[in-house]
Amino acid sequence: MIQLKTMVNCIDNSGAAIVECVKVLKQKRHARIGDRIIAVVQKQRSFGPESGPGGSVSIAAANKVRRGDIRHAVVVRTAKKYQRPDGSVVRFDDNACVLINKNGEPIGSRLNGIVGSELRNKQWSKILSLAPMHL
Amino acid sequence: MASNLCAIRPLARLKPLIRHQRCIKLRQRAYATQQTIPNQGQPPPPPQAATLEKAHHSMRRITLKPPPPAMYNKCPSPVETFEASQIAALDPIGSRTKLFSRSNPDAVKVGDILLVRTRSGDPFAGVCINIRRQGVDTAILLRGQLTRVGVEMWYKIYSPNVEGIEVVQRRAKRARRARLYYMRKPKHDIGSVENIVRQYQRQKAALGSSDVKGRDANAHKKKNNKRGRN
Repeated sequence: MIQLKTMVNCIDNSGAAIVECVKVLKQKRHARIGDRIIAVVQKQRSFGPESGPGGSVSIAAANKVRRGDIRHAVVVRTAKKYQRPDGSVVRFDDNACVLINKNGEPIGSRLNGIVGSELRNKQWSKILSLAPMHL
Repeated sequence: MASNLCAIRPLARLKPLIRHQRCIKLRQRAYATQQTIPNQGQPPPPPQAATLEKAHHSMRRITLKPPPPAMYNKCPSPVETFEASQIAALDPIGSRTKLFSRSNPDAVKVGDILLVRTRSGDPFAGVCINIRRQGVDTAILLRGQLTRVGVEMWYKIYSPNVEGIEVVQRRAKRARRARLYYMRKPKHDIGSVENIVRQYQRQKAALGSSDVKGRDANAHKKKNNKRGRN
């Protein structure tokens, strides 16, 4: 359930760590997995020694976005339960998104973390292929 | 005594008297109508008797239709019957039912680590933190961790998409809660169960190989499962 003002984790190496949702696109309600949103970068990923896996790899890509940038993003995980057509339900512990440009191509070059497989139905196969795992 | 009272309070006795009188009158009128109705017919007394008899006869001839057979007798609890038939269709050998029945001492309990193999995609392993028993809709909630993100999945145990449910590890002590939602808190979160599952799978494989035909045994099991489903 991602809506206005929701703080979402950013799991790609575009340089953003936490973004804030400012608009859910093409919807009158909250965003779910695979929905496109507009987000403002609130916190940049710090690439110090305590950075996460892949931090040092993406130093070059670190400044693709800066704090305050307005970007499009795709929701890839939600803490809200999502029921699949086969009756199973999936729920993640956090909300996460991946920044994209206006054409729908991911800004980062790699993702760290699982993504929901609803992305396939919503034509985000590029993100799905970048992800290390999908469920 | 009564007359005395009447003298004092005439109205107190008058009212029931009037009521009684009215009753009598009503009754009389009823008699009258019963008698007068046949009298209204033009023919004199003998035909009157005939009509009476006729009326009597026709009244006797009214055949009451028996009420339609009650559906209740046919199937006292249709929902339960339907669910039973559904379960019989989805789980013919009754293995799933047994795995989650309350009467089975070896049944799955909350806190056990389960591995669910699905027809599509990877198997999912996690701690069972809730069992929702609802007949054919019975479902389990598994909590696991993938790429350091907590993931919870509900699986319907009778779903044809679920190929198999295996108990990887049982909880050492019986959980004292029915729903272990506290395991979502960081303090109680057991984290990834990947290592436990891998160990279990290795053990299973080893056991299978000591059994001369490890893979075959497994394959046989799978086949069994499939046969059960169809």
